[in-house]
Amino acid sequence: MRIVDPIGTSAASGKALAARPRSLEGVTIALLDNSKPNAGVLLERVGALLAARGGARAVRAWSKPGASTGAAPAVIEEIAAAARVALTAAAD
Amino acid sequence: MVLGTDEFIPLARAQVAARGLPGLPVVTVPHPIGGIPAGAVAAKAGPIVESVLRALTSDPAAASRDPGTPAGDVEAPDDLDRFQAWLQERGWGDGLPAIPPTRERVAAMLAGARRGPDDVVAILVPRLGRATVEAIAANAVMAGALPEHLPVVLAAVEAVADPSFNLQAVQTTTHPCSPLIIVNGPIARRLGMNAAGNVFGQGSRANAAIGRALRLTLQNVGGARPGKEDRATHGQPGKYAYCVAENEAASPWEPLSVERGFAEGDSTVTVCGSEGPHNINDHGSTTPEGIVTTVAGTAAIAGSNNIYLGGEPLIVLGPEHAATAASSGWSKQDFKRAVWDRARVPLARLAPENIERFAAIYPEGFRDKPPETPAPIARDWRDVMVIVAGGAGKHSVFIPTFGSTRSVTRRIAD
Repeated sequence: MRIVDPIGTSAASGKALAARPRSLEGVTIALLDNSKPNAGVLLERVGALLAARGGARAVRAWSKPGASTGAAPAVIEEIAAAARVALTAAAD
Repeated sequence: MVLGTDEFIPLARAQVAARGLPGLPVVTVPHPIGGIPAGAVAAKAGPIVESVLRALTSDPAAASRDPGTPAGDVEAPDDLDRFQAWLQERGWGDGLPAIPPTRERVAAMLAGARRGPDDVVAILVPRLGRATVEAIAANAVMAGALPEHLPVVLAAVEAVADPSFNLQAVQTTTHPCSPLIIVNGPIARRLGMNAAGNVFGQGSRANAAIGRALRLTLQNVGGARPGKEDRATHGQPGKYAYCVAENEAASPWEPLSVERGFAEGDSTVTVCGSEGPHNINDHGSTTPEGIVTTVAGTAAIAGSNNIYLGGEPLIVLGPEHAATAASSGWSKQDFKRAVWDRARVPLARLAPENIERFAAIYPEGFRDKPPETPAPIARDWRDVMVIVAGGAGKHSVFIPTFGSTRSVTRRIAD
């Protein structure tokens, strides 16, 4: 039998990803803490190890107002202006 | 790029796909990050640094975007038993048998709506699914709903998509919340909804089918599949169906809809991001103060999200408790204020590490406070929600919420 698809279409639209730098030499790395417990600990440690290994210029951290709310658009713009690469976290 | 734990990979993937970035790299560490010593978390960084470095310095492979299921009809097995298995295999079922949403059945369902089938009622996260009237109708057919139930389901879908409801979090959190639908106004009686005995239990087709239709819509159109994007640690039985009518006839107070500015004759749905109901047994009290003492004593719990995230915990008074609570002329507002004043959790009952976490999220309530400080169950007494529902008996129930969610009320276009 034929049934009506119970899922329907998605409004998700494809976006282009920025080209990546060839190395982290002289690059500023942004960390966006998702405000889940210990996410900042993991991000900071990864940031520090990356800086040591890749020769990054700086590591800067931002955070979301809460685990279940998105980052403010102004924060996203600030990260885009300040850093060449960004790491964020998902999960508990 | 995104760092996650291996347990949360399906949610991270769904999220980057819905945001239009399916090629965004995701690197994982073994679950969990939270609730373990900081040193153990930091130790998880070393083994992934190479992968992170590679992800940050090489262009991601152009991932083909998931086109999703094209809108339209799908071929399904004719045999009803085989249909059930097929539905489950596709991840479109909830475990209970479902009615096949054939074109004929969906057309009959659509007769219950005052809107065109292609009207988009809401965009549902995390998938950013287009909840058209037709897609909702298909899920309502599967749930066993009748055409006259559809206006309630449509209003509920519109309500959960209100930004203040925070559907993204309600759909994907580890917390056991699910939208509780509260129906007010004349439509409840017309549909034969249960507002009385066993109101949260089985037995009423309207309660069951409307609740289940919303759940299937959220799972299928919204793309919150159990164990995948829906990360609930336990979930709760209300994730099959969670829908009640307020027992307005047995309430001494104005209904929820009127409290929220709707007219007496309006029919409304209110959705709350709720936990399951917890019973409040009080066979002894004959005064409002007695009822308040028992309700407040039950509501003041250490493990509730509302303690540190705020939000609107709900008290569902049984009609007999409500009559006692109103017996000396108390208004609903008097009752809410009295419960809020009494329902406090002394900080001494909270774990020190948990207080530290709460303090980071809500410093005004938890930073540098002496152990005897009483934490209220909501930020303000007006945030305590009260409705009357249920039948004969000396019971009420307490329903905490996810916290970072506000209840939303919508008029039903019937």
